[in-house]
Amino acid sequence: MEMRNQKSKGKPPAGPSIIADYRLQPGIPDEMIDADGNIRPGWSQLMSAFDRLGPNELAARFERADQYLRDAGVFYRKYDGAEGKERDWPLAHVPLLIGEADWSRISAGLIQRAELLETVIADIYGDNTLVQQGFLPPELVARNGEFLRPLVGVKPVSGNYLHFCAFELGRGPDGAWWVLGDRAQAPSGAGFALENRVATTRALSDVFADMNVQRLAGFFRSFRDTLFADAKRDGGRVGILTPGQLNETYFEHAYIARYLGLMLLEGEDLIVEDGKVMVRTVAGPKPISVLWRRMDASFVDPLELRYDSRIGTPGMVDALRHGSISMINALGTGLLETRALAAFMPRLAQKLLGADLLLPEIATWWCGQPREQRHVLANFDNLLIGPAFATTLPFDDLRGTALGSTVPPDQKAALLERIRANGADYVGQEPVQLSTAPVYVNGKLEPRPITLRVYAARTAEGWTIMPGGFARVASTLDTSAIAMQRGGQAADVWVLSSKPVERVSLLPRDGQKLVRNSPGSLPSRAADNLIWLGRYAERCEATVRILRAYNARLAELSKADLPILTHCAAFLDTIDVDASEAMPQGLLASIDSAVHSAGQIRDRFSPDGWLALNDLQKTAQRFAERIGPGDDATRAMTVLLRKLAGFSGLVHENMYRFAGWRFLELGRRLERAIQIARILSWLTSKTAPDGSLEMLLEIGDSVMSHRRRYSVSAGTQSAIDLLALDPLNPRSVIFQLSELRAQIEMLPGGIDDGQLSPAAKAALEIETELRIAEPADMTPQRLDKLAADIGVLAGLVAAAYFV
Amino acid sequence: MLYDVRLELHYDYDATVHGGRHLIRVAPITIPGVQRVVAAGLSFEPRPQRESTFTDFFGNSVTTLTYLTPHDHLAIRLTARVQMEDLHPPADLSPTREGLRLEIARYWSVEPDSPHHFLAASPRVPLVPAITEYVEAVAADAPSVMAAATALCMAIHRDFAYDPKATDVETKPAEAFALRKGVCQDFAHVMIAGLRGIGIPAGYVSGFLRTNPPKGKPRLEGADAMHAWVRAWCGQHVGWVEFDPTNAMIAGPDHISIGHGRDYADISPIVGVLRTHGSHETTQSVDVLRVE
Repeated sequence: MEMRNQKSKGKPPAGPSIIADYRLQPGIPDEMIDADGNIRPGWSQLMSAFDRLGPNELAARFERADQYLRDAGVFYRKYDGAEGKERDWPLAHVPLLIGEADWSRISAGLIQRAELLETVIADIYGDNTLVQQGFLPPELVARNGEFLRPLVGVKPVSGNYLHFCAFELGRGPDGAWWVLGDRAQAPSGAGFALENRVATTRALSDVFADMNVQRLAGFFRSFRDTLFADAKRDGGRVGILTPGQLNETYFEHAYIARYLGLMLLEGEDLIVEDGKVMVRTVAGPKPISVLWRRMDASFVDPLELRYDSRIGTPGMVDALRHGSISMINALGTGLLETRALAAFMPRLAQKLLGADLLLPEIATWWCGQPREQRHVLANFDNLLIGPAFATTLPFDDLRGTALGSTVPPDQKAALLERIRANGADYVGQEPVQLSTAPVYVNGKLEPRPITLRVYAARTAEGWTIMPGGFARVASTLDTSAIAMQRGGQAADVWVLSSKPVERVSLLPRDGQKLVRNSPGSLPSRAADNLIWLGRYAERCEATVRILRAYNARLAELSKADLPILTHCAAFLDTIDVDASEAMPQGLLASIDSAVHSAGQIRDRFSPDGWLALNDLQKTAQRFAERIGPGDDATRAMTVLLRKLAGFSGLVHENMYRFAGWRFLELGRRLERAIQIARILSWLTSKTAPDGSLEMLLEIGDSVMSHRRRYSVSAGTQSAIDLLALDPLNPRSVIFQLSELRAQIEMLPGGIDDGQLSPAAKAALEIETELRIAEPADMTPQRLDKLAADIGVLAGLVAAAYFV
Repeated sequence: MLYDVRLELHYDYDATVHGGRHLIRVAPITIPGVQRVVAAGLSFEPRPQRESTFTDFFGNSVTTLTYLTPHDHLAIRLTARVQMEDLHPPADLSPTREGLRLEIARYWSVEPDSPHHFLAASPRVPLVPAITEYVEAVAADAPSVMAAATALCMAIHRDFAYDPKATDVETKPAEAFALRKGVCQDFAHVMIAGLRGIGIPAGYVSGFLRTNPPKGKPRLEGADAMHAWVRAWCGQHVGWVEFDPTNAMIAGPDHISIGHGRDYADISPIVGVLRTHGSHETTQSVDVLRVE
């Protein structure tokens, strides 16, 4: 069946030519083309705009959107093996348009549903009348892994269990929107919805401006204002609780934290004292009163929930019992996502709201009831059969759920037997027939099945629905291909308004106070990672410099057993670098460590810095595959040195001079001081062969300075003077110490009422010793002690801020 | 009967720990009509900076300790005087397994004592097909649920060797079952897995045993340490019955209960996250003496 715009009316303009080849699927509704084959109003405006742009410009603009996402570092984690890989965010470029009438039905239906869910979960963790009166089977609660017994009877301090929910919707063959699933635990994707919007409008800014598309910022602003209003009690701190960077949507946690001005916190950043939750910051523990949780509840407290959780905070449940923290959403709300619960929602709506559900949901039969079990067994082939207690959506559950008719014959009998024996573990659900919407494939538009994810937030005025969200677009015409883990894409959702829309942003309105976070709010774990990022980056640089000097000489002399080379190789060996490898594993490991530290604090420095670091890692890995020692390696090290300088430059030029920058700087200075002191000791020792001093000056990037200052060939004294004691040489040890002392004094608690902290004292002591030292005093033994003293200083900094 | 209970638990850490938070479940509770705590004292050394108590979902008394300062050991001392009622085992008015299934299906409650909490796998007790098979054979001829539980209690005592060296606190029920060895915790877990496997709700009880036997009776196994046994739901009429598979008996006045849960994880004497990587050593001593 070929659908064309009705040209028969004979009047220009003809339908947009871009949809000339758009072929609908028989019997399946389409978002763009109505049942009579006419293009719907908003879509016709969008398609005409595509026509006006022309194929080349359109392709260029979509590429611009992708480029934006890559530059912004938007990624999600895809699990296809043991370890998840970061993937570019799969943007489907054509937005999904939803008209005003459709949208008001969806909004009203979801507000009703959010209220129903709140009442149900409050009863389950409260008086439990629904089970006693026969509206909810006890098995669905008692056998449910998301029923968290320690939370029974613990009333949320805010008075509500649910604050932020998401709903997955699909449009059925009858044209109505259906609820496919509720996300009430810790819904993800709101941040991706924002990024989709930014990327899509970057490509289509003029079209967007013409179409009265409802804005998203207002939704986020009112939710943020609600969070901060909730937090007023103590200190007003609000954080996002993330499982950490290995989580598939970590990027989004960091993004939302940055967008809304919330602290990004892991379980380790928090401690519970006297029933209060505190953030471990570099200025000591500070109270926090609201946590927007992106971690599954059972991991939140290893003392009372999952004993094997390594990402939780011991005592969090106790804090909830004391009513000292507001958890968004309350622990235990994940139970609402249980698939079998869908079977009971229509009756619960009648009982609790005295009304039918405004938005229907997919019909579900729980096999723990005899009659429903018989229905599922009788209609096995035509139903989706899946686990009753699953909390994944049916089409995201690639392993556990299947259409009865697709179950292999050799497994069917066993499955039927299991349903008969353990009915409570199974549900049957009506298969979902989704509507299609246009997706841009190789310059053309093709229909693909879509689902719609919509977000609801509780504010002081009640539930509010995000006017947008994101649409998931299947990679093929098969509905199950919607799972992003299976190549599905995500599209922006434009909710159209008949009137021009007001512009909103997150900037404060008139009369609102601008809140500036104090420097003391830097979590200790983030500070620790910043120090290590600084140290690893500097360690890479020091190693690269030595390797370059080594390989340059190897290329020149082409014999690896010359004294200067073996002496240098022996030094490299002390830092686990094997000089015989052109791109040593030890260096690659330091680069990996730098990337790892940076990955834990993505919210704290610029996306450009992150990309530069990734580029460095990729380049080094490529080199490792193809370069040889000598000339090759010398050139490779020069490239790496440039890239390292690029990274340092990006970070140092663009980072606000906050506690965070200070810790990064500390790491860099500590490492450089230690490295210089050690190599000085090694290359000025009695056993150091000829050529050591020249090598030293080269590694210390001080050949020119030496020539200018001493105008003689390098002697031990002049080299030591320049690299250890010269306060004007940015590579000297004393230069690092002056910087270290200054930075440590400026840290929280660095000087308290004129009293120096232990770290500040130690830094001053080492600096003073160096200032009064003569080059002749700096024997190799003294230099080794110096390196060790600086190591102790690093330990004192850690003890003050991280223990 | 009146008992004096004395418990001492001692943990020596390999390295100094910087702080810690623990949940302690060692104090006996009052169970109306069964046991009454006359007096109890619980102390800790070193003294924690914070100490508080709460009652958990299953009704057990929990003490929360918080240490903020470095320490290298933890000692827990309990003394308690407990009055035990001299109850006889209940008469077997329990239904058949099919009858029990119907009773459970009609039991519309998720209150803490509801059998529904004790039927599915729990954190430390997965359902193990091999154990279910064993129980099916052992309980094949049992006319009632209580008879089935009794048969399993006797079978475990007969088929398993008491061997503290064979297992440790982390041993899984399937491993203990394969070894046919273990201590009270293992026997209790195997029995719970077995009962649940055939549809009988079962939970874990932690407690103490009288140390010195009455004249002419043998000393019970497990009396010099904390003990564990099993509770099984034998239908509306009989309710919960406690079985001690370690000693092949129904628990009586010599079994002093600390509390119960689905398995060891719900009622372990100490749960704690120490901010250190070192290991620790444990010693414990228990005395339960008849006062009158």
